[in-house]
Amino acid sequence: MTLSTINISDRDHQIAKLSAIAVALSLIEFFFPSPIPGVKPGIANIVILYTIFKFDLRMGIWVSIIRVFVTSIILGSFLSPTFFLSLSGALFSLLSLIIFKNLSPKFFSLISFSLIASLAHIIGQFVIVRLWIIPHDGIFYLLPIFILSAFIFGLVNALVTNKLLELNPKK
Amino acid sequence: MRLNSLIVYFLIGLLMGCGDNKTHQSKDFIFGTLIDIKIYGESKIDAEKVSNEIFFEFHRLHKLLHPWEKSLITDINTAISQNKSIPINNDEVITIISNAQRLETQTQNLFNPSIGRLIKLWGFHSNDYNQETIPNKETIQKLVSSNPLMQSIKIKDGILKSNNQNVQIDLGGYAKGYALDQAKKILKQNNVKNALINIGGNILAFGRHGERDWVVGIQNPRKPNALASIVLKSGWTIGTSGDYQRYIMVNNQRYSHLINPKTGYPESKTQSATVLIPPSKNSGILSDVFSKPLFITSKEDKANMAKLLDIKYFLIIMDDDSILISKSLSEEINWEDDIDKKNITIF
Amino acid sequence: MIKKILQSFKVAKAGDWFIIILFFALIIISMKLLWNLPQGQYLEIYKNNEILATYSLNQQITKTISGAKGETKITINNGKVRFSSAPCAKKYCIHQGWINKANQIILCIPNKISISILGSNKNYDSINY
Repeated sequence: MTLSTINISDRDHQIAKLSAIAVALSLIEFFFPSPIPGVKPGIANIVILYTIFKFDLRMGIWVSIIRVFVTSIILGSFLSPTFFLSLSGALFSLLSLIIFKNLSPKFFSLISFSLIASLAHIIGQFVIVRLWIIPHDGIFYLLPIFILSAFIFGLVNALVTNKLLELNPKK
Repeated sequence: MRLNSLIVYFLIGLLMGCGDNKTHQSKDFIFGTLIDIKIYGESKIDAEKVSNEIFFEFHRLHKLLHPWEKSLITDINTAISQNKSIPINNDEVITIISNAQRLETQTQNLFNPSIGRLIKLWGFHSNDYNQETIPNKETIQKLVSSNPLMQSIKIKDGILKSNNQNVQIDLGGYAKGYALDQAKKILKQNNVKNALINIGGNILAFGRHGERDWVVGIQNPRKPNALASIVLKSGWTIGTSGDYQRYIMVNNQRYSHLINPKTGYPESKTQSATVLIPPSKNSGILSDVFSKPLFITSKEDKANMAKLLDIKYFLIIMDDDSILISKSLSEEINWEDDIDKKNITIF
Repeated sequence: MIKKILQSFKVAKAGDWFIIILFFALIIISMKLLWNLPQGQYLEIYKNNEILATYSLNQQITKTISGAKGETKITINNGKVRFSSAPCAKKYCIHQGWINKANQIILCIPNKISISILGSNKNYDSINY
């Protein structure tokens, strides 16, 4: 009987490392109180963005999905509403990046992608909240605030990621 | 439930305006209209208990005094129509009848709760105002000439009799005010300090709304908003007779439920008449009753009628949108923006 | 500190500014649309003596309520509400039209249904009519 071995590539190592960092950031963020409930900077997204721009979109997708699952398993919120919130945000976000990935780099930098992904993330979360968690239109009162915070954090995340990319140029 | 969701629920809750949670509000449908009770500054349990007690009392009065569904009043009316006497040992109703008689005289018979036949003729003895035709002129004339009056009712040794078979008691213009006075008693019995009770638009203010007095809006007869608002101090009541709540439309003409006993026809030149009554044992009854003669009497006589009844606070809106208002009320009323001040006459 | 932030903005390209402006527009539009109403603009539907439901006025939807006499429909349209269908003969409730301010109320008496608008109305606590 031959043992089958799983070949672990360098790429896999990368994904694992990045995911671990993303999860760590998610956990840190979870324990920090946020000024407005439900509004989170989403600092793990820095890792995702970094991954996408340093490596490629596929790796970014992996890291993102792994982060959502692992974080929720560690926090014990797997399959809870929070998990679906997180997953929905991540999926919408990734989807938006896939759709817009062909935006010309001449006109659009990281900042645009971060903002787009950030907005998509908020929308994804809102969809779950409206359909499932609070099926009441009163939720829409919060939308402007959330869009604003998506803007601010999208921007901040982008600038931080940029700095990181500067310090770690593509190989 | 995850913290996230809990927090969002909380935020929604805040936004949903639970800002004023010292006011307990409850509603019910009684007397064929909406009752709205607001109690301020009591615990939820106490407020609910008192509100329910008041609703219970209103249901009781509704059944006791109903003008066309089986009640003590309809029993009396049947006896009268058959020229029979009827034993009556209900002290409450005896008192109501004698009060109504007194008020009928005081208002020069313009408040006349014995014209039930006329009211029914015009189609207002129903919860649906479906009537599509106006009643026959001769029939109206006959009823008017027969001159039904509360005064024709005599109660002696517990026996009630009337010498006028056309008398049919309809306490529509009295019962809601009476109910307000009853509610006042219940509030006092339960040591409630602050409440606002609205029976189909007839309002009693009790105590205050916390640091300020209660404020009530006055309905615009032709639009779904208030045309003015006024502070209602503790014990004061406000009542309005208007042509915009109960009426029939025949050939695009509006016929309100406020029938002039002297003509047999609904008063058509007035849109609404509002009175404010200062605190007294019967302030509820008076706020209901006194708006009627003010509504029905001719424009030239309205100020005199107010004087006759010692009404210092009144507001009347004529069919041409002109406004008649007493001096005292004009000094305290707060008009909403869309009022044409040139159209106002102060008495 | 500000210098550093501005420096990092150097990365921004033309398209980025376009997206940023779009974002601002989005924020302003959403504020205008959703925050137009005074706080707490909700609709309360009473059937007999119970609160049947509370709805935000911030939507476009028609709700059907069954009452003593039949079905009543109320339509909410972004800040205002009205009776759109009622089983009574004269349809007075429908003729009242749209209401949108706190404490305004329309009754469908035959069907014992009332719609009233909640809100912290600064003007009055109850309306006389």
